[in-house]
Amino acid sequence: MDELLFLRQEVAPELLAGVWMSIKLIVPSAIFGFFIGIVSGVFRVYGHPVLKRLAGLYVLFFRGFPLLVQLYLWYFGLPRIGIYLSPFAAAVIGFSLCSGAYHSEYIRGALLSVKKGQLLAAYSLGFSKIRAVFSILLPQAMRRALPGNGNEFIYLIKYSSLAYMVTCIELTGKGSILANFYFKYLEIFAIVGAIYLVMVSIATWGLNYLEDRIAIPGFGRPKYN
Amino acid sequence: MADQTPVLRIQNIKKSYGDNKVLKGVSLELNRGGIKVVIGPSGGGKSTLLHCINFLVGLDEGRIYLNGKEIIHNRKRELTAYRQKVGMIFQDFNLFDHLNALHNVLIGPVRVKKLPKSEARERAVAELERVGLRDHMTKYPAELSGGQKQRVSIARALAMDPEVMLLDEPTSALDPELIGEVHEVIRDLASGGMTMLLVTHEVGFASSLADEIFFMEDGKIVEQGPPQKILFNAECDRTREFCAKIGRLHNNSS
Ligand SMILES: Nc1ncnc2c1ncn2[C@@H]1O[C@H](COP(=O)(O)OP(=O)(O)O)[C@@H](O)[C@H]1O
Ligand SMILES: [Mg+2]
Repeated sequence: MDELLFLRQEVAPELLAGVWMSIKLIVPSAIFGFFIGIVSGVFRVYGHPVLKRLAGLYVLFFRGFPLLVQLYLWYFGLPRIGIYLSPFAAAVIGFSLCSGAYHSEYIRGALLSVKKGQLLAAYSLGFSKIRAVFSILLPQAMRRALPGNGNEFIYLIKYSSLAYMVTCIELTGKGSILANFYFKYLEIFAIVGAIYLVMVSIATWGLNYLEDRIAIPGFGRPKYN
Repeated sequence: MADQTPVLRIQNIKKSYGDNKVLKGVSLELNRGGIKVVIGPSGGGKSTLLHCINFLVGLDEGRIYLNGKEIIHNRKRELTAYRQKVGMIFQDFNLFDHLNALHNVLIGPVRVKKLPKSEARERAVAELERVGLRDHMTKYPAELSGGQKQRVSIARALAMDPEVMLLDEPTSALDPELIGEVHEVIRDLASGGMTMLLVTHEVGFASSLADEIFFMEDGKIVEQGPPQKILFNAECDRTREFCAKIGRLHNNSS
């Protein structure tokens, strides 16, 4: 009874603040990352050769460097050249760019899987390349890429806990501080884990809902009633 | 016909893929309202020819004129304007898989011609009606039969107001019982005065429609003339052999 009261009064408000910070990290990183992924994915398949190359290099580096190393570079490394980022900014930039590189892979794969004839048909109607990509190819590719993109969103929720390593105190950071302070590792980390599980479940539910909403007969995932 | 300028004039088109010379200098003219049919063995370059005419693949050599005006394909505006005037029907339909029948037809007028949505919609419905698919407008490609898909693709091309239609074996991917409905639509276009270049192996259909047939083999037009001559009384041995073969196939299947 005491225990519960303690958790509610001492731990819960702190953890809630951590959850709030986690959400503030995750949501913009997810949006920026997805956007970067779409743009670089399109460049890699249909871009001018120079853009194609640049987008390829972007993906190479940001998938190749461990995320923690990227965060360290943004936060501890950039001051060396006179750029000082807040912990929050460093984390959002780090997450967006890393996430974007993975999204880019899914989008690229999906664009390549669209049948060649779709582009020919669009051209034959007088579509320019850009217009064909945005009105015909991407809407198809996005539907195929969504399961992969969804996975990436789920990963992001969990790797957002690395923000703690650049002193942006979100859920995991709060949990660590509390656990050290009260010496209650089992209880507090179990709660922290459960909160991530809830966030992941909500995201999964949202993604499934979205997949159903945009499902098209005979296209990608069948729509079950 | 008073109008002497051909709607479409193709001059000496050449195209190679690596060492494979697919088109070795093909020329032809289409007069307004004229219907020309191309026949010939598989691999002879018929599809490549139609793709070249629409600049869907780059030509190595050759000139293309629409209403007497040469098309400079690196001018993007000119190219897209030209493509709107030249409708293309593909063997495997190439309907946009993520759009229903109505939106397949609508998207060109809206995105390319920039028609207001309501006007484009009216037009699209009219074109679908013309190909007999008014009741199937909300179906997606996966829910349509092959014959219906090809009719949607014809409606899609018509909604752009083409002056010429290029049809690449429009019925060869169809089950035999579905060929008739597509032929009927094409016949309808013909009687409406549409200028067409049609690749087909349906001999009966071709001879009833065409004013000229080209026999194409190995990247060249080997022989050309009125249907009766090419199909039943060709001068060139290869043409005769080929026509005898497709004639037999046709008789066996009907
Ligand atoms: N994209 C391509 N790349 C390489 N070779 C091609 C390509 N398209 C067609 N070809 C070759 O061109 C030749 C003619 O093909 P095609 O125009 O499809 O003939 P048809 O339509 O008369 O059957 C074939 O030998 C084919 O292998
Ligand atoms: Mg062919």
